[in-house]
Amino acid sequence: MGKILIVDDTLFMRTLLKNILFSGGHTIVGEAGDGEEAVAKYQELKPDLVTMDVVMPKQNGIEALKAIKALDPAARVVMCTAVGQEQMVKLAIKSGAKGYIVKPFQAPKVLEEVKNVLAA
Amino acid sequence: MPLKEVPVKIEYNNQWIVTKLGLAEDRIVIPAPVNREILFKTVTDVEERKNILIITAKTDVEAKYKILSVEKVLQVLKKLILALCNAYRLKAYFMSPAIRGGVLVKDAKWEEGSVVVVLSGIWFSSGVKQICVPVVDVAAIELTKRDVQAKPTDVIRIDHLESGEVVSSFVLCPLSTLQVLYNFLKETTKGMDMKGTELDSIDQQVAMLVYSGMDSHAIENMLNIPPKQLDAIYDKILKLGLAEVVIVRREIQLTTKGVRYISDATKAQTN
Repeated sequence: MGKILIVDDTLFMRTLLKNILFSGGHTIVGEAGDGEEAVAKYQELKPDLVTMDVVMPKQNGIEALKAIKALDPAARVVMCTAVGQEQMVKLAIKSGAKGYIVKPFQAPKVLEEVKNVLAA
Repeated sequence: MPLKEVPVKIEYNNQWIVTKLGLAEDRIVIPAPVNREILFKTVTDVEERKNILIITAKTDVEAKYKILSVEKVLQVLKKLILALCNAYRLKAYFMSPAIRGGVLVKDAKWEEGSVVVVLSGIWFSSGVKQICVPVVDVAAIELTKRDVQAKPTDVIRIDHLESGEVVSSFVLCPLSTLQVLYNFLKETTKGMDMKGTELDSIDQQVAMLVYSGMDSHAIENMLNIPPKQLDAIYDKILKLGLAEVVIVRREIQLTTKGVRYISDATKAQTN
């Protein structure tokens, strides 16, 4: 089980992920609504894993991922993308993301991906 | 003369009988006691349920044949029937499954083969693989773009439900053909289409939470809505045929007798 930071610009998606991850026994240490806030919260909370939305205001998920990896090369970041954003997934993996989940989420798949990334 | 014989069981008079199907260039020959010949061009539908292949052939009357066999034999049969049956068929590249339950399938790759549309389903058929997407399970069909050899390329995405999971497949062929296939698939699955205005934003959020596996209690808490409102939204979703009732739960409250029982039981434990 891990300490997780959830990054998404919509409250609905954050709440949904929070419920799914909590039901899987994980601890939600924080939430962020944009990329800049995500980087700040990462430094402050030092989570085991970050779920990162791709399309967000201020700083998008890819930029935030790069910033977090610059701070901590061992950071575990799972990208949350919509169907049709596969090119974003490739870019994210190149930038150091450890996994990805595609919206809309299904709880078992989210938990499986998080478990795999935490175990790696 | 049959070119090849394959061992199968076939349903005849509500019983499975062991036999050998003869496979000729233009037909399947079923020996006695069934004594039938199925011309490939009369086959209008092919379905697969576990390891049973159901073939519908139509001449003057419609006949269904249920064939049971090992995967290797069924693969030979499927490949042959799909190549020659009466269906909408085109050469294409396909990737199926490409995304399962929201996660990209590892090692998914483009395969060269055919897309064959029969009455009950869309088949992806290649030399080594035959995958069926039943029309009733199709959740979405979309013309979209996908990176193929690092170039954004027009493809058709077909989403279908499989054991409660959304599985996406992609089809790639020349754009003009893609448009024809897209129109044909949209027409085939027209019964599943919705206007898009049936649900308001709260209803859509509820539907998405149901999709994500949340139960009623979690949905009420997340959206901060009372049970009655959620019930009304459920009714709307059910009426539109977007969901089905899986379980009916009850909330109960103790009577005076119940409260007394619990009080006594607690006293007995603490004494």
